[in-house]
Amino acid sequence: MGQCLRYQMHWEDLEEYQALTFLTRNEILCIHDSFLKLCPPGKYYKEATLTVDQVSSLPALRVNPFRDRICRVFSHNNVFSFEDVLGMASVFSEQACPSLKIEYAFRIYDFNENGFIDEEDLQRIILRLLNSDDMSEDLLTDLTSHVLNESDLDNDNMLSFSEFEHAMAKSPDFMNSFRIHFWGC
Amino acid sequence: MTSAPEPGIPAPGGKAGRRRQLPERVSGGLSGARGAVMSESSISALPPGRPSRQPFIHQESLSLDSSCFSSPPVNFLQELPSYRSIARKRTTILSRDKQSGTLLKPTDSYNFQLEGELTEDLDSQSIRKYALNISEKRRLRDIQETQMKYLSEWDQWKRYSSKSWKRFIEKAREMTTHLELWREDIRSIEGKFGTGIQSYFSFLRFLVLLNLVIFLIIFMVVLLPVLLTRYKITNSSFILIPSQDVDIQCTVYPISSSGLIYFYSYVIDLLSGTGFLEDTYLFYGHYTIDGVKFQNFTYDLPLAYLLSTIAYLALSLVWIVKRSVEGFKINLIRSEEHFQSYCNKVFAGWDFCITNRSMADLKHSSLRYELRADLEEERIRQKIAERTSEETIRIYSLRLFLNCIVLAVLAACFYAIYKATIFSQEHMKKEIDKMVFGENLLILYLPSIVITLANFITPIIFAKIIHYEDYSPGFEIRLTILRCVFMRLATICVLVFTLGSKITSCDNYLCELCGYNQKLYPCWETQVGQEMYKLMIFDLIIILAVTLFVDFPRKILVTYCSSWKLFQCWGEQEFAIPDNVLGIVYGQTICWIGAFFSPLLPAIATLKFIIIFYVKEISLLYTCRPSPRQFRASNSNFFFLLVLLIGLCLAIIPLTISMARIPSSKACGPFTNFNTTWEVVPKTVSTFPNSLQTLVYGITSEAFAVPFFMIICLIMFYFIALAGAHKRVVVQLREQLNLESRDKRYLIQKLTEAQRDLRNRLD
Repeated sequence: MGQCLRYQMHWEDLEEYQALTFLTRNEILCIHDSFLKLCPPGKYYKEATLTVDQVSSLPALRVNPFRDRICRVFSHNNVFSFEDVLGMASVFSEQACPSLKIEYAFRIYDFNENGFIDEEDLQRIILRLLNSDDMSEDLLTDLTSHVLNESDLDNDNMLSFSEFEHAMAKSPDFMNSFRIHFWGC
Repeated sequence: MTSAPEPGIPAPGGKAGRRRQLPERVSGGLSGARGAVMSESSISALPPGRPSRQPFIHQESLSLDSSCFSSPPVNFLQELPSYRSIARKRTTILSRDKQSGTLLKPTDSYNFQLEGELTEDLDSQSIRKYALNISEKRRLRDIQETQMKYLSEWDQWKRYSSKSWKRFIEKAREMTTHLELWREDIRSIEGKFGTGIQSYFSFLRFLVLLNLVIFLIIFMVVLLPVLLTRYKITNSSFILIPSQDVDIQCTVYPISSSGLIYFYSYVIDLLSGTGFLEDTYLFYGHYTIDGVKFQNFTYDLPLAYLLSTIAYLALSLVWIVKRSVEGFKINLIRSEEHFQSYCNKVFAGWDFCITNRSMADLKHSSLRYELRADLEEERIRQKIAERTSEETIRIYSLRLFLNCIVLAVLAACFYAIYKATIFSQEHMKKEIDKMVFGENLLILYLPSIVITLANFITPIIFAKIIHYEDYSPGFEIRLTILRCVFMRLATICVLVFTLGSKITSCDNYLCELCGYNQKLYPCWETQVGQEMYKLMIFDLIIILAVTLFVDFPRKILVTYCSSWKLFQCWGEQEFAIPDNVLGIVYGQTICWIGAFFSPLLPAIATLKFIIIFYVKEISLLYTCRPSPRQFRASNSNFFFLLVLLIGLCLAIIPLTISMARIPSSKACGPFTNFNTTWEVVPKTVSTFPNSLQTLVYGITSEAFAVPFFMIICLIMFYFIALAGAHKRVVVQLREQLNLESRDKRYLIQKLTEAQRDLRNRLD
């Protein structure tokens, strides 16, 4: 378990991160501390990167069925820099605005990354959610068709971003459930 | 996804008008062909409403003519101007392709035009809301700041001040989150048990705050002047006006003398509010003061007492409604067909804040259960819709019969409570010191015991009855809960009305002397206060006892004697949210009713809820396992506040009757000089200047009330009509969207075919 060079974060950097993300001071410092513990030794925190596996095995993401998608959406070139981690924490923080969360939720749920959530994506989402091996074909198709019935307004068997946005704006649980408390802060 | 616009398709522009050009130009020529294709396809037979959705695996079997209704190639859709302008709005000037996420150079005239449009939007959106990573946001902010130089001084100052104001608000909000009570506890509960149970604890925290604020109001308005005068902190004195036109018998208030008292009577007094507790600040009877004379003004204590009651009821109502507006808005937006939205469950079904492996497994299984239950419910609802008329008649008559049984059960419980209250009141007046300790307490607490027993038995009966009524599962749960809620809260009302009837009846004829039974109840408000106090204390004792003597032993038995089949079947306790919520709403209703008769009751309620919070938290963490059927947080919040609102309405009824109808005691309390409690208000109004008086009388007369009511009705009908019209427009727009999408798919199909032909011809 290596440690980065222990530099205190500059006050200006802290202020800048506060202005550019939805995180509070305490949360940023917390994430900074934990990042320093995990990153490889001998590097300045702004240059160090974490692998996708390291981030996937964080306690906050360890049991999340969508952790691979989250890592893919927020990482660049399959690694996480400190700012990537901050960006991820900012989107999942409590103070983030709904439009930002909906945007990233759409990217996370778009498994085949074609800009739409189509039936294949929906089936994969449902399989991940239910996490069971004995899934009848009927149940899957039933659920998929119900979801599309509710939110696919132009009947093209796919959810575009505006349809997804419209559905999530009506959803009462979305803001509450799309939150992660990173590192116990 | 390509970044350069393809020839033939207009460049993505910011103005909405440009987006619609393509369909308009082309659709005119093709509309005839479209009509021809429509008539051939099998899907044209569908009604124009919602076309039934066929599962995607069947689409290959559709005929070639209707293949234009299958999903068009996605990359074609990504080139459409509508898609690109929405994508641009989401990520502003950068493309979604992360690999080449470089900022386009500002020297490019096309991009400069984009940025020019962008700065108009930058004012409204703060930079955090952009879906970009931090380095990109930094560059955007630099652009923003360079743009600022071109603005006038006034605009610069405006933007600077709005930014500093926003920063100040955020800092203040950050400070207040630190003050939030029990933040860490509730977060850890959320992580371990999910958001359903967490919403119960948040609700409990809300009630603690509400009671604290109610107590502060009462303290400021009623207690503070009395305390200041009594302990000579300010130079003020009490005004005591002897009552006129009242029989001397009505003002006799025998306070029990302190002679040789056994120790156990202290305990009894503490538990029932009699004896040494009766003439303390705890009860109404202590405040026999008509005013407090300060140096500059006279403080009208009776008016203040009444206004504090009205104030705390109004505050509770406003706060609850404000908190429930969120849930209510969402319930309104949801269309009526969907009892529970599948979208909500699939996309927002997973609690991202779960960190525990076992909790995650539980969440998976609860989602499986929920989704299967919803599909099952759908099937049952379809079955219900297909009922024949004779089946319907049979079901409805059965339901009528079962509802009569429910009413009979309720009536039986109410009668039992009535009888118990009368018995308890009669025997309390006899020489209670001469009775044995246990018998004493039993008689004092008899109404509470009967209420608690009724509240244990009736849910079981209701759960059995509802099986035969053949409702859909979701509706069953709601109806059972509603019945239990009504049962619980109505029992308090029955108790209070029984007391009221006892107070106003003197040996089976109306009391003419003082208006109430002054022999048995010289100070009836204090007696009612004592009953409420007893209910509250007993409630707390029962909750503690159940946790200590049922939950913990159960857990120990199940853990250590798991070899016994009986204990294995019984299993660990599950945290039953509806029962717990009803328990605390019951406690809060008692507090609301009792705060008028016992000003310190809200403080006791605050302490009680704090104790309950810790007890329930410990019980949850050590003895409960999470139930496989999870409550959804959004539904829970609305449900809790709805039940609380029902409790508030049921609490207001006895209060208004006792304030307006029953004459106030002449022997004690601030209202000795008034006929009823409410009379303070007309007497105060008559001291106003004449113009104000006529205004007040005008507003409260029928000449004002009836037109006002009619205008309110008209406004309500207008809004109902407006909502109906909007609904129709929404349906029409959805249909139109449907048809536009069909057009789009057809055109894309035609275009791909044309391109294919061209390519074939060129090869």
